[in-house]
Amino acid sequence: MLLVRNAVHAALFLIVNFFCLAVFYLLLDAPFLFAVQIVVYAGAIMVLFLFVIMLLGVDSGVPVRERLLIQRPLAFVLAAAFVVELFLAIRAGVGFATRAPDVFAANDGGNTQAVAKVLFTQYFFPFEVTSVLLLVAAIAAMVLAHRKAPTVTQAEIDAAAGKLEAGEMPVYGAGGAP
Amino acid sequence: MRTPIAFYLMLSGILFMLGTVGVLTRKNALLIFMSVELQLNAVNLALVARGCTTT
Repeated sequence: MLLVRNAVHAALFLIVNFFCLAVFYLLLDAPFLFAVQIVVYAGAIMVLFLFVIMLLGVDSGVPVRERLLIQRPLAFVLAAAFVVELFLAIRAGVGFATRAPDVFAANDGGNTQAVAKVLFTQYFFPFEVTSVLLLVAAIAAMVLAHRKAPTVTQAEIDAAAGKLEAGEMPVYGAGGAP
Repeated sequence: MRTPIAFYLMLSGILFMLGTVGVLTRKNALLIFMSVELQLNAVNLALVARGCTTT
């Protein structure tokens, strides 16, 4: 995904990545998360990304290549250092522990039911806070995307009516673009 | 035969690193968003892997 220049190809590789992660969730005894990962991420979010990519046509050359010339190797070096540090931390912190057996007790009666039981009792307040956050984001998107309708004065309406009465054909869609 | 949790965490770290590289090197805003999605997925994997163990 990082090395491919075409944006659509990068999105398709990201879909492959999401499916692999879904399989890992299945291996970790989380089948509900597996289904959600496939439906929401690989389905909805990536369709949204592909739609926007194909609508806007983002792969437009490399105009600012010189500006990012130093940043690219620096990013790789910093990321490699970060992942080495992370490996050392994981080895020191977790070691080679395997799963605890009480996961299977927690999943008793189905993983989806267990998730619902915990989500709607113990973690109900964070769930509601998340829903309020989503509502705020939706309202903000609507406010930001809302364009003010052009105000039409009565004089313009009268002028248009006068043109119609004079026999001129109104041309629709001609004056839309400023 | 259970896979150790550390492997999942290491994979999560690698994915997060790849997402970070994508954020730092990509120039398009949409591709930066896709890299951020990769990072979010890495963190999700780490959370799920950590949730499977009780120490």
